[in-house]
Amino acid sequence: MAVEVDDNDLKAAGAELLTEGRRGIRIHGWEVHSRNCSILTSSTLELWEEKLQTSHLPEMIFGDSCLVLKHIKSGTKIHFNAFDALLGWKQEALPPVEVPAAEKWKFRSKPSQQVILDYDYTFTTPYRGSETIEINATKHEREGVSEGTYNLQWEDCKEKIDVATLAPKEPILFYDEVILYEDELADNGVSLLTVKVRVMPSSWFLLLRFWLRVDGVLMRIRDTRMHCIFGDNANPTILRESCWRESTFQSLSAKGYPSDSAAYSDPSTISERLPIVMHKSEVLKVPGNF
Amino acid sequence: MPSHADLDRQIEHLMECKPLPEAEVKTLCDQARAILVEEWNVQPVKCPVTVCGDIHGQFYDLIELFRIGGNAPDTNYLFMGDYVDRGYYSVETVTLLVALKVRYRDRITILRGNHESRQITQVYGFYDECLRKYGNANVWKYFTDLFDYLPLTALIESQIFCLHGGLSPSLDTLDNIRALDRIQEIPHEGPMCDLLWSDPDDRCGWGISPRGAGYTFGQDIATQFNHTNGLTLISRAHQLVMEGYNWCQDKNVVTVFSAPNYCYRCGNMAAILEIGENMDQNFLQFDPAPRQIEPDNTRKTPDYFL
Repeated sequence: MAVEVDDNDLKAAGAELLTEGRRGIRIHGWEVHSRNCSILTSSTLELWEEKLQTSHLPEMIFGDSCLVLKHIKSGTKIHFNAFDALLGWKQEALPPVEVPAAEKWKFRSKPSQQVILDYDYTFTTPYRGSETIEINATKHEREGVSEGTYNLQWEDCKEKIDVATLAPKEPILFYDEVILYEDELADNGVSLLTVKVRVMPSSWFLLLRFWLRVDGVLMRIRDTRMHCIFGDNANPTILRESCWRESTFQSLSAKGYPSDSAAYSDPSTISERLPIVMHKSEVLKVPGNF
Repeated sequence: MPSHADLDRQIEHLMECKPLPEAEVKTLCDQARAILVEEWNVQPVKCPVTVCGDIHGQFYDLIELFRIGGNAPDTNYLFMGDYVDRGYYSVETVTLLVALKVRYRDRITILRGNHESRQITQVYGFYDECLRKYGNANVWKYFTDLFDYLPLTALIESQIFCLHGGLSPSLDTLDNIRALDRIQEIPHEGPMCDLLWSDPDDRCGWGISPRGAGYTFGQDIATQFNHTNGLTLISRAHQLVMEGYNWCQDKNVVTVFSAPNYCYRCGNMAAILEIGENMDQNFLQFDPAPRQIEPDNTRKTPDYFL
């Protein structure tokens, strides 16, 4: 998993890798740090069930895994974790999606005392990342700001992420992929939330992707991309673009695309086939000092 | 019948994670079918025996399991299904288990899991792996045809009931299960499907999954089933648990999962359940095999993703 990075590339970019077993990099006033851990233990899982008030969570929750991008000077922190994503799932609470076999089940004689469980087993989340500002304890806190953290102000914008600047002409100084949660939908497809990051000499770029395939029924991709070009190290700007796509297998097949699930194992190769259902661009001007 | 020498040679070959030639797989599946067709839907098993959950093509972890639990036939084994899909070595894993079954039929029991099915293996890896390793789908066909003959459940000394998934609202007694016609592809619904797919749940009674297919059963159901059938425990697999095993429903049900670091990324422990000569229970937990020479972590290769 360790990625060979050329020391000279790091040096030329004024970057250094994190040490003491932490994965990540410091570059242009940012610290990018990732952590990949095991799935939750049964006892922690019970705690989460209590906190989230549900007894149905994804079978693989990488609850201690995270990606954190911290602007050191301002304490601005953009981070990604499974718990916040599952809070989003609980709040959105989409109605259940029936699998093809459900049709046959409707004709089956029902036992008495039966309950139909009604949570969103696809674990679809509107999560687009978490953000906090860590105020340095030694500094005076600004008036009106409660102790700890508060939200950042993203503003809608027309700009789009400049894909040309992300072409493979620069070395990747740091790369990682962090899985936040995953569920096999009891072998009816896949639900997967991951975040990938790459740091180059001129910018950092990340993709948070929720990918859902309910075999024979529907596919859903919810992407959030963030891009920060290094320039003004004191007041950097982050561009965030969210793009949600969704399609049923039926409508794909009507367009002449294959309708077998095996043809849809990799979301990155098929995303273009799914129509866009939501798109938005926002910009964040990271505040200077507090 | 083949000589033991042939089988011993095949097993030795397989233990090195080398697939058998297509023709040998065919012969092996024919032999296994002749054995399995004689077995029962509720296959009686004697103690001592070691009960194992999902393996999912994690061949080297299966070898680790034998190192921890003892080699077959020195240790008797009962596997509760899901030998194929997800992992990199479904072919070698299932071939080895079937070869052991043919060689030591009374010392190893292999049940059917929901992945031992034509439909599921076409989506989750086994079919593709067969194509990759043999250049055609014949081996996949030999095995999936054989899977139809696997017993659905087993019963250790009339006390511990073992199966892949869980209970069914259509099956109150073991005799109900014995009456099923099991030699077929796993249906999309019905009692046979339930045995391989259902899960225990915190809610009482029968629950229907929000997918619209699939049952959950509550503690009241499991307690009643054990009482009716004079059982002490339902041992099942089918669900990933971080510690490798998990008691639930007031110790009426235990889940055993034997694929450590599932899908090469979960970091979970695996477990097996030893049932001793006096029916005493002992769980053995284990970590992934130390060597991992899988083409691992393809996801982690730096790429210029957009």
